[in-house]
Amino acid sequence: MKNRLKVLRAERDWTQAQLAEALDVSRQTINAIETGKFDPSLPLAFRAARLFGLPIEEIFHDQDPAPL
Amino acid sequence: MYQSKPPESRYQSRTRTNVIRLFRWCGGWGVATALMAFGPRFLWNRALVFTLLAVGLDVAVGVGMILANKKYVAELDELQRKVQLNSTGITLGVGLIAGVPLSVLDAYHVIPFHADIAYLLILMSLTFAASNLYGTRRYR
Repeated sequence: MKNRLKVLRAERDWTQAQLAEALDVSRQTINAIETGKFDPSLPLAFRAARLFGLPIEEIFHDQDPAPL
Repeated sequence: MYQSKPPESRYQSRTRTNVIRLFRWCGGWGVATALMAFGPRFLWNRALVFTLLAVGLDVAVGVGMILANKKYVAELDELQRKVQLNSTGITLGVGLIAGVPLSVLDAYHVIPFHADIAYLLILMSLTFAASNLYGTRRYR
């Protein structure tokens, strides 16, 4: 799964630590999500969507092509 | 130039509290286990009542340690919980695949030493530490 977390964070001039604090997770988790090493759970993805005020699909994208 | 450390986040503070609690329970369990193992010989001359009390204390502190570990894991974030789950799974597997053959080799006197449970505990501890370190570094 791809995501725009790093871009959205940079637009707001937030550090990974600040985003981690806002989402109540570790900075390591934010880094792992941003680098695509770890996919967040739905509750965490929804928390991120609420924080950025965006629909979830504008932050997280499925990498696989849609089935025919 | 001196740079002050950034303030601790709620997550870090919660995790630190849980780690300290778990560390204290682990230490307490170690002391209780040592008392149970060496007390009968060195402290109360194998008096059965004291030995049973020491066993009861060891089990009670052990239950406290398990509950402290449960709370620690439950309050980790999802990535850290995944690392813990992977480490626990690997440790359980290594314990099984090493423990049973070691016991069989001891039963048939293939190995020149007694397959003490302590060897298995040491192996499992080292496996957990190594797999936890690997998991933490992998997602860094």
